[in-house]
Amino acid sequence: MKKYWSVLKITFQEYFVYRLNFILWRFRSFVQLLVLYFLWSAVLPQGTVIFGYDQAKILTYILGTSIIRSFILASRSVDVAGEIGSGDLSNFLLRPISYLKYWFVKDIADKVLNLIFSTIEVSLIFILLRPPIIVQTNPAILFYTLIAIILGIVLYFYLSFLLSLIAFWTPENVWPPRFLAMVIIEFFAGSLFPLDILPAGIFNALRLLPFTYLLFFPLNIYLGKLTVGEIFPGLLISLFWIIVFYQLAKTLFKLGLRNYAAWGR
Amino acid sequence: MPMTNRQIVKYLRVWFKLATLAFKIDLSNRFTAVFAITGKAVRFLFFLGFLFLLVGRTKTLAGFNLSQVVFFFLTFNLVDILIQFFLRGVYHFRGQIVSGDFDLVLVKPINPLFRSLSERIDVYDLMTLIVLIIYMIIFLSTGQITITLGGVVLYLLLIISSFIIGLAFHIGVMAVGILTTEVDNVIMIYRDLSAMGRVPIDIYQEPLRTFLTIIVPIAVLMTFPAKALMGLLSWPWVVFSFVISGVFLFGSLRFWKYALTQYSSASS
Repeated sequence: MKKYWSVLKITFQEYFVYRLNFILWRFRSFVQLLVLYFLWSAVLPQGTVIFGYDQAKILTYILGTSIIRSFILASRSVDVAGEIGSGDLSNFLLRPISYLKYWFVKDIADKVLNLIFSTIEVSLIFILLRPPIIVQTNPAILFYTLIAIILGIVLYFYLSFLLSLIAFWTPENVWPPRFLAMVIIEFFAGSLFPLDILPAGIFNALRLLPFTYLLFFPLNIYLGKLTVGEIFPGLLISLFWIIVFYQLAKTLFKLGLRNYAAWGR
Repeated sequence: MPMTNRQIVKYLRVWFKLATLAFKIDLSNRFTAVFAITGKAVRFLFFLGFLFLLVGRTKTLAGFNLSQVVFFFLTFNLVDILIQFFLRGVYHFRGQIVSGDFDLVLVKPINPLFRSLSERIDVYDLMTLIVLIIYMIIFLSTGQITITLGGVVLYLLLIISSFIIGLAFHIGVMAVGILTTEVDNVIMIYRDLSAMGRVPIDIYQEPLRTFLTIIVPIAVLMTFPAKALMGLLSWPWVVFSFVISGVFLFGSLRFWKYALTQYSSASS
């Protein structure tokens, strides 16, 4: 456990080595939030309702997805592909450390930082612009939202890790498959708009896929749009996909190691 | 000092050589090419679908009908891809600065700004650009938007003006890169802001609209060409577009020259 604690501390320190880079990274997150806020405020002026969403609901959804996106859809495991491609993976294979756990701990550091700074940034937007945001006060709903977010984090970690494992077979061409996967994941996770504005048939099909449980599902719980009877099946589907991706990650990592030639070493 | 014909030919030859090399690299792996192009196409189609869904329901967006909103989005893509295609070298610039490899660019008998901006030319952008232009021609030929020959000429001139503003931003980002070794986040901030131009800037409220027209001229970059083609842009704004692109280019070149004097050749 101690070694993973050290990984966590080192990851934190890494972020602050290039301070300007860090500041600009956070400034960029703030700009992204503002861009979305202004876009949706303009698309849906006060008093209008589209697809069952008024301005308060849509702004809560959009700002909410932006915040949870910054720590659910942000994963350091992107770098796994680089380590496989450069042969740096060999360093880890020789150490008494679980490679999956190592990256999961690095992810936690990343998410903690994102959470802290996202909270500050959203607070700033709240103070400066006073958007009509829905503040959920029901403790049970908040609890279910938290569970859904945690499941979303784990789900995305394995998904992202899996994408990086492509490097075992095609080390020089990792970016394009990841780029395509991210476009699809982000869209079907509901980062652009709430998925329930899609035709019912498409929306129902999407609910069986894992992507919906990354952003749309937690936010829908937060907005109080789901009953307990709808939340539990959602959490179970989420868990099912986590198990599937975990098994896939383990199996593909083992298969990949057989193919691994430690290039560059 | 203005360039001679011989110099122009030399630079064109260098650019084509760099483009050929980049194309050979990009097309050496069809697996990569298929994924990259599909990714770009899917991203485009998703947002287009979203616009159809949204404006199909609201009927108008800030007074613009669905066809007009779609044309604003197509123009945004045209400008964005053009800029990406010609100026993608900026994404590789940080590596040159932190490794000290920029020294090797400086000692070559070619303009270092031109060489750095042309460092990487993306064949996938060229492919998506061709498909987009074909789609735009088909879209305009359906008559959903009334256009005139004068409007088309003005549209093309304003696209050039947009490209100059985009070029100025990229030069500015590279100058910041020399001064601070930070490029990636700065260029992505530009891209995030320019994404506001996926819809007509008119939908935003004041003072944001003025900010996006004068301070960070995303409106000039993305919205004005489309408005000109539709005959919705007044002449003072046309003149303003050309003036501001000149001012931005001049300012960015001065900034670049200053940044070069501060280059410390780190790591080499």
